[in-house]
Amino acid sequence: MDSISFSFFEKFILAGLTLVALASFTYEVYQRLVIVLKGTGSLPFDRFPERLSRVFREVILHEKVIRERPWPGIMHALVFWGFLVFGIITLDHFSIGFYKSILSESAHKKYSYIVIPFSILVIFGILSLTYRRFITKPKALGKTSPSSGVVAFFIVALMATYLIGEMNISPFLWKVNWWIHSMIILAFLFLIPRSKHLHLVLGPFNIFFKPFDQPEHTPVNIDLEGDEDELDAMLTDLTKLTQNQALDIFSCVECGRCTDVCPANRGGGILDPKHHFILDMREPLLENKDVAVLDQINVEAGWECTTCQACTEVCPVGNHVEKSDEIRRLEVLVEGRVPQEYQKLFTNLQETGNTEGASSSELADSLPVFTPEKEYVLWLGCFARHGLDPNFNRSVKNFTKILDVAGVSYGVLDQEHCSGDPANRLGDKLTYTMLREHNMEQLTDTKKVVTLCPHCAVNLGKEYEKYGTVSYTVEHHTQVVGRLMEEGKIKVQMGENGKVTYHDPCNLSRILDIEDEPRTAIRSTSSNFQELEESGRNTLCCGAGGALWWKKETQGRTHLVRAEQVIESGADTVVTGCNFCYGMMKQGLGPLTPEGREEVLVKDVADIVAENLI
Amino acid sequence: MDILVVLENNHGSLHRLSKEAIVGAQRLGDSISALVIGKGANEIADQLTGYDLEKVITVSHELVSSYNADGYSEVVMQVAESCSPKIILAGHTYQTRDFMPRVSAKLAIPFIPDIVSISDEGFVKQVLNAKFNAEMSSTSDKMILSFQSAAFSEDELRSGSCSMEVFEATLDVNNVRSMSEEPFQESEGDVDLDSAEVLVSVGRGIEKEENVHLAFELAKAMGAEVSASRPVVDSGWVDSFRQVGSSGLNVAPKLYFSLGVSGAIQHVVGIKGSKNIVAINKDPDAPIFELADYAVIGNVLEIIPKLIEALNN
Amino acid sequence: MKIAVLIKQVPGSESSLSINNAQNWVDESSVTFVMNPPDNFALEEALLIKESRGEGEVVVVSMGPSRVTKVIREGLAKGADRGIHLEEDDPMEIDPLTIAQRFTAVLKEENFDLILTGLQSDDTGMGQTGVLIGEMLGISTATLAIETDVMDGQIKVKRELESGWFQWVQLPLPASISIQSGLNTPRYPSLKGIMGAKKKEIKTIHASELYNGTKSQSMNSIFLPTTSKKTEVIEGEVDQVVEKIVEILRSEIKVI
Repeated sequence: MDSISFSFFEKFILAGLTLVALASFTYEVYQRLVIVLKGTGSLPFDRFPERLSRVFREVILHEKVIRERPWPGIMHALVFWGFLVFGIITLDHFSIGFYKSILSESAHKKYSYIVIPFSILVIFGILSLTYRRFITKPKALGKTSPSSGVVAFFIVALMATYLIGEMNISPFLWKVNWWIHSMIILAFLFLIPRSKHLHLVLGPFNIFFKPFDQPEHTPVNIDLEGDEDELDAMLTDLTKLTQNQALDIFSCVECGRCTDVCPANRGGGILDPKHHFILDMREPLLENKDVAVLDQINVEAGWECTTCQACTEVCPVGNHVEKSDEIRRLEVLVEGRVPQEYQKLFTNLQETGNTEGASSSELADSLPVFTPEKEYVLWLGCFARHGLDPNFNRSVKNFTKILDVAGVSYGVLDQEHCSGDPANRLGDKLTYTMLREHNMEQLTDTKKVVTLCPHCAVNLGKEYEKYGTVSYTVEHHTQVVGRLMEEGKIKVQMGENGKVTYHDPCNLSRILDIEDEPRTAIRSTSSNFQELEESGRNTLCCGAGGALWWKKETQGRTHLVRAEQVIESGADTVVTGCNFCYGMMKQGLGPLTPEGREEVLVKDVADIVAENLI
Repeated sequence: MDILVVLENNHGSLHRLSKEAIVGAQRLGDSISALVIGKGANEIADQLTGYDLEKVITVSHELVSSYNADGYSEVVMQVAESCSPKIILAGHTYQTRDFMPRVSAKLAIPFIPDIVSISDEGFVKQVLNAKFNAEMSSTSDKMILSFQSAAFSEDELRSGSCSMEVFEATLDVNNVRSMSEEPFQESEGDVDLDSAEVLVSVGRGIEKEENVHLAFELAKAMGAEVSASRPVVDSGWVDSFRQVGSSGLNVAPKLYFSLGVSGAIQHVVGIKGSKNIVAINKDPDAPIFELADYAVIGNVLEIIPKLIEALNN
Repeated sequence: MKIAVLIKQVPGSESSLSINNAQNWVDESSVTFVMNPPDNFALEEALLIKESRGEGEVVVVSMGPSRVTKVIREGLAKGADRGIHLEEDDPMEIDPLTIAQRFTAVLKEENFDLILTGLQSDDTGMGQTGVLIGEMLGISTATLAIETDVMDGQIKVKRELESGWFQWVQLPLPASISIQSGLNTPRYPSLKGIMGAKKKEIKTIHASELYNGTKSQSMNSIFLPTTSKKTEVIEGEVDQVVEKIVEILRSEIKVI
């Protein structure tokens, strides 16, 4: 539209408004960034290419957004890709106002063959999403959000004014239309940083900075013999967010996927990760202009978390949602407010090095002792050692049978203390320090550790590494079984197991990223294998995580939700790879089995392999 | 006299543990007198006329018309100083625990509490949460004893006759400094499983929610409380505060009466302290039978209704 | 307001206990010692009273060998202000009158307003110490308090009675009260509390210097209860079974 020109006055107004909008935008974003930088730690730039590739897949390709909620995900993708496509159009639009079009007429025309269809797709996308948000009103999206309505209107209006601008209309109308389009964009600039739409700016960065490992919580170093002032400073710091966590809070899109997948929430608990772990802290952050807001987290909700990381896994903008570690350690270390059942647990751990307060272990006594020439330390864990579910002892024995057949040498440590997972996840970092230091000493001459408990595996490896060098490797027993099968050291045959399904333990699939080996083992021994709906990295926690196994008052039915799914799947046998999942399944399946149906059998991977060894 | 038995008024009638204490006294000696204090003392004394006792002493001073530790201990001391019994004894009730040590200190004689049986050399008491029994003995020639519930049976009370005697105690506000209100009961919602003597416990063998009321009726007939295993609570058939087992309460009642409880380890660990376990289950291999004192192999749904009927008659 | 909390260190309930060679107590070498759980509630009650009044001093007093300083430190870590250790090496000193005399000698000097104890100890369970001390000090006593209400110069106590009955009693201060378990939620020591406890004072006094009178009772021996855990099996026709059960309930277990 070369014939359109703007008067000096118009340009003056345009410049003024644009400047104001840009300044406001910049100021708001800057303010938030200042707060983010007050956080502890620093934003990570390691593994740069991997981080970039992750941004490409999750932002440009919208992989996770689409995978987790396909239809709304695709609709959002349309709006997003439209936004990208419109980049140059927007620049061109303002350029016309100030000077002249940056695109030649033919370029403009060719490009419009892409842009016009996209604008229709964007309208379609945004209207579908609007329908979903305001008419269907899924629970996860929470209260009606006025800003969403405004943004939806803006986007439709922008597309409409673009399309009108491509039509043959009178210069006057074209200009009016042009000004409307510009005003909406400037209003947009004003709105973005003050709402969840800030994710437009922060999302890609947040995804870039997302930790590769989860859970990721600042290690708490405690030296009781150390300086009291240092301890005081450390305790004060416990209320502070890290830079990454602060960025998370500003990036949140309030989509509620985290709450949707949370096992505590689904079991009827009050925990709502979207609010309790993220949004509740946003206002305090902005009001205080400081990051010491972790004490705002709802304590009751904090105790319900199973630390399964489903929320972190599913977040489309790369938030590490879960913050039970942060609130629990405040309650335990700073306030001394610990639920009664956990006080007993901590005392047992401190006095006897195990969760049950026991002074001996029958299981440990029945197994060979570790000596340095043996290949593996077989780490039992408190669950097996002290018979939290005596049936599981059989699974341990089945694993040793597999090792014996394969000719692999192993032994148990006499002075094995609890790996510390319960203390660690419940916030008692002092007891955790005691246990960790003890175990590290016991493991000084060890090269390889294998355990049946994913919680032990996570702590002995990844968690201990946060506090010092770990000189041994840790494997989960399913990894060892998988390798032995691959190497031909053990052979299995198909067995009569009926319909078999597998429940991925959250610590195994999400935290240790192990999902294939158990499946290989099951598929080699069962002809009728069926996946559960939420499997692999999307598994639904059995409810025992976060040391909830020891929780006396069962609030809600967190521990039954997954058991219900297993029963609904129609499986005859459910296999799992974690002693807690094993125990939880056994406890949950019984009462839920409908009359007349056989109770689903619960087996560990070690059981199903040992039973079918050739 | 040899023995002075301090009796307790249980809302108008003689406390069962007091009767049992008299049996204990009758085991230990011949010249036995009983002491009743407070309002209703005469009515209680009347209930004793058929027992083989030397006399019943009543004290009705207004400062001890209702129980208080200051007054009761002072009265017992005055009676003991006047009659010089070798042994003062009572049932081991909350009331005895409240005032008898005061008597022990006033008279400087030892108090051996919560005795479960009499042995050759002394008295047997449970220690270390009833994991062990200990033999206690007094090195002084006078002593105070209290007997645990059911250490003796009131069936063995020797009958005979006894006289009544009134004792005028000297009390004033200097030695009775406390003011007690009337005892009261709280609403039913405050169920205390921990202190229940008898627990009727429901397991999955009850089969359906509709049958759970049988457990409550049985409990009512026995003056017991209702507890449950985890699967029953999880299914929502019973409130969660009734859950017994590794994720619920640990209980140690005198009688744990289980209905259709299989005896899974997580449950059993919560009931190990029970003094007696009667278990009804139709599966002869149910693990609970390893713990039970009485194993009833049968159908819970058939047995309970008839049991309730028998108990109510 | 000065509050003394008497705390005993006892074998932990999950310890594996075996009888010692002399057969008069358990073999302490394999025992894990803990704060007597009922005393934990008494300590918490004392701390709550101090906090609600906004002033006061909580003093933890414990008698036993040097290992009991651990439970005193625990009390200090939870918020008590100082501790007194009555050093007594003989674990077989069980005579309640002797024990009470020793505590009385120490407590008398300090003029405590309130003396709190747990309802009884998990080891010997004599359940008298608090009341004996009250009598020896000439102050009022109450037991099994499930609620306390401290006013100036007075304390109201809700006593727990059997079978769901309760009674409120009002006593003048000073008073010695034994606390029923479960009336509050004992706190966990915070990290700061644990650090601070190291600096708080624990005074050590030899118990025998306080009182060494003749013992009035002793524990001669301990033994395992004869568990005739022979399970009696009852089967048959429903009517017969019911009859047998009623008989057992009446004559053998004696609950009806």
